[in-house]
Amino acid sequence: MLQRTSYLTTNYDKPECWALSLYESTGGYTQAKRVLTSMTKEQVIDEAKKANVRGRGGAGFPMGLKWSFMRPHATKPSYLVLNADEGEPGTHKDRTIMELNPHSVVEGCIIACFAIGAHVAYIYVRDELHLSKARLWGAIEEAKKKGYIGLAPFGVDYEVQVHVHTGAGAYICGEETALLNSLEGKRGEPRLKPPFPAQVGAFGCPTTVNNLETIAIVPTVMALGGEAFSKLSGLHAFNDGGVRLYGVNGHVKTPGVIELACGPTLNELIFDVGGGVLGDRKILCAIPGGSSTPILLPSETINAPDPAHPMHAFHGKSVFDVPLGVDTARHMGTMLGTCCVTVLAEGTCPVLAMHNLMQFYRHESCGQCTPCREGGSWLLRTVDRILDGHGTMEDVNNLSDIASNMMGNTICAFGEGTAMPALGFIGKFREHFEAYVRGERRRADARLTVA
Amino acid sequence: MPTFKLDDREITFNPGETIIAAARTAGQEIPHYCWHPGLSVAANCRMCLVEIEPAPGQRAMMLDVLDWDATLGDYVPRRKPKLQPSCQIVVTEGMVVRSNSSPHVTEARKSVQEFLLLNHPVDCPICDQAGECKLQDYWMEHGQFGKRMHDEPVHKPKAVEFGPTIVYDAERCVMCTRCIRFMDEVAKDPVLEMRERGNLNEIMVAPGRELTGHYTFMVDHVCPVGALTTKDFRFKSRVWFLKTHDSICQGCATGCNTHLDVDPRENSAYRLRPRENMAVNKFWMCDEGMMTYRATSEGRTVDHLVSGQVVTSDTALKEVQARFGGTPPNEIGILLSSQASLEDNWALLELARTHIGTKHVFFTGAANGYADDILIHADKNSNRNGVKLLAPHAKDLHELIQSVAGGVVTRLIVLANDADDAAVAAKLAGRLDTTIYLSSASNPFVSEGRGIVFPICGWAEASGTYINQHGTAQVAKKALEPRGSARPGWEVISKIAAALGFTTGWTKLKEVRGKLPVTMSTTVAE
Repeated sequence: MLQRTSYLTTNYDKPECWALSLYESTGGYTQAKRVLTSMTKEQVIDEAKKANVRGRGGAGFPMGLKWSFMRPHATKPSYLVLNADEGEPGTHKDRTIMELNPHSVVEGCIIACFAIGAHVAYIYVRDELHLSKARLWGAIEEAKKKGYIGLAPFGVDYEVQVHVHTGAGAYICGEETALLNSLEGKRGEPRLKPPFPAQVGAFGCPTTVNNLETIAIVPTVMALGGEAFSKLSGLHAFNDGGVRLYGVNGHVKTPGVIELACGPTLNELIFDVGGGVLGDRKILCAIPGGSSTPILLPSETINAPDPAHPMHAFHGKSVFDVPLGVDTARHMGTMLGTCCVTVLAEGTCPVLAMHNLMQFYRHESCGQCTPCREGGSWLLRTVDRILDGHGTMEDVNNLSDIASNMMGNTICAFGEGTAMPALGFIGKFREHFEAYVRGERRRADARLTVA
Repeated sequence: MPTFKLDDREITFNPGETIIAAARTAGQEIPHYCWHPGLSVAANCRMCLVEIEPAPGQRAMMLDVLDWDATLGDYVPRRKPKLQPSCQIVVTEGMVVRSNSSPHVTEARKSVQEFLLLNHPVDCPICDQAGECKLQDYWMEHGQFGKRMHDEPVHKPKAVEFGPTIVYDAERCVMCTRCIRFMDEVAKDPVLEMRERGNLNEIMVAPGRELTGHYTFMVDHVCPVGALTTKDFRFKSRVWFLKTHDSICQGCATGCNTHLDVDPRENSAYRLRPRENMAVNKFWMCDEGMMTYRATSEGRTVDHLVSGQVVTSDTALKEVQARFGGTPPNEIGILLSSQASLEDNWALLELARTHIGTKHVFFTGAANGYADDILIHADKNSNRNGVKLLAPHAKDLHELIQSVAGGVVTRLIVLANDADDAAVAAKLAGRLDTTIYLSSASNPFVSEGRGIVFPICGWAEASGTYINQHGTAQVAKKALEPRGSARPGWEVISKIAAALGFTTGWTKLKEVRGKLPVTMSTTVAE
């Protein structure tokens, strides 16, 4: 059952919903004030841990745990950095928060800064999101005027400054260490880890990098209390707590973003939120959370006959009928990612879909390390040849080889982000690739749209 | 010392060392392109990936990949361990590392090698790096496969002039960033950077700049492939025709350890390269130093001259007898050279003190010049400390000129190799009745044509010892056969001694070296 909630989205459909007055009329900034005036940072981190907020950026790392890694440095300041470089194909959730509820971000920044001992928060916004930046700047201005951020927020001697930093339109800058390099004015290339940002982050100082949605939900966590927040989720038992934004796009009738308690199934998202597949076609496959997550087919089922297996309750069920969470998705052989589901309808071409994604990854690879720089481009050129009808069976065989050799051999997760969808498409749709090689299909007939 | 296990070997390491560095010290190379022991870690080539056994109680991180099984007609899922870059991972006690013994590592190396060659032009026949190229070496070791990509490779700028000394070929480049890091970290001039993304990446010089300075040649030497070449060596020789000899740079008092590459077929030098010595020059050298190889062939003195006329060795020696015979010993002076080897200086000093019996010992050398705090020393003499050690009370040039002007010294035996020395000697030449001049280089004194000139071997033609700024005695080995009539200075001095009626008792290098007041392990205080 879908459980709609309205914490982040409560004002989404109201006029001028981004204004401070509206935000405050629904309890805005009361949590920041309460935290700063009556709580210790340990108490805040404790609540954050209890809330089981899994990072909303795709990796699903527990937010409270990440905050607890921050140790004050003897001479250096600490920083909070928000990753709003939302650029993954099929992902469009953070943008709605920035545009429609920017004050939740600012309030979240105040609380998170306090929790990790930072006085400055940088919001790294993807360059193309001009409205998002304008709304954030507006919100920061309003909050400053009211004295909610600045030298002494709410009269408390704990300075909090929030800055918006514009990216330059590179997908790789969504990788947290590439983001930090970009923030520092350097070339947007991922750094070697360790050291992790909590030790050496922005400008060489201890830094927490959180997804923007992760921080935006923080005021809700504090308002409800960590445990109560976590229990809103259908996956509380999987330590995957609370509510989050889900998105549906692709070949569905009503694409969009919706706030739900964690744990809807793919079928619920596609049919209840998305209104079903365009032209009432069958589902070819779904990308569960952004283009880097391996595709799922409706015919796939959960195989967990062992009663001790955490997924045993779903044994034999279609993966489209299993609650979608960070850990459950992992057991399905994919990733939850940003949980913006992209649906491909039957009749569209998975080879063309893979070609589309590979174009993206080839274009966005920073080129720092060998397997990603060369492998991504090789994948694209191979698929391109296959689509053009010049491919051979050797080319088809090469695809899984190239992707397998990129897997895990790169500096950052971009390599896996390219290899995983490639392996997904070639592993699950090989016969489509072979059809092009055998000349049974032509590129001119391939479609990615439902007429 | 703590140990770790690499394949089947137990290897000791210094705490804080990376796997690749510890393995290198132990004599086991882990293949790599981007790692350089003198530069920061980039970990971008991914050639040095190794498998590290998880610590007890921890599970290895596994990755899901697919293999196509042609007989099954289906994909077979496979799990492989996540490999780690050995240039980045710091060794810990008891760590178990698999390099050559892991099939996953073998597979990864082969694939990295394949990725790197994907868009490489494979223009080895016209590439200067061929024969000393990591891409070639590792392809023989880890590749030996045919090309699987049949598309046109990516084309990028070729023969880009980075500056007056360096040419860049972006198609050959493997983007290891060693050149960028060298200019940034060692040369302290971050003039190189990378532009574009993905496989369109290329190295560039900062806008408005050229690759200039005193360390531009080094970018060629840190480049593991043929992307960066020096204009000086470009298209001059194939490296397999060259024979490498250990030498010492004569450019300044730093005494950088070098490799001198010579073509034995034509007895000429082609290149001077840095040789690793952590105590002296680490892995580096300056441009000026590397260009000194030219002095082995250019501007040489190769004939005996008497009053400007080319003569035989015998004639020259007879002239010595004629002009020096009967001179009171105390009227003879000798001029030592801060640029000549310890052997030559010692021989001349021995002749003066033991045989002739004069106390007029002077020394000279090149004037001070440019210095930095990287390698280049202001003292442009390779052996000033050597002369100081042999003759601590030798008088300087000013006193020599006074002695000559006052008629105290009427005969002079001069050892000099450098034009600066020669200019000094030229000043004196007009005032001296007779001078014996031992030189490897042509200079104003030689052309003045007043004295007796004996051509001697330059630093590349005879083994010689030089004491650098820190008092370290180092040997430049013989790399070339002497040109023309040149012979080692100490040998010529022995003959001059004989002409003057003395028997020196040395005829071999070993005999001279055995009498030197230093051994190669000697460090002499400055």
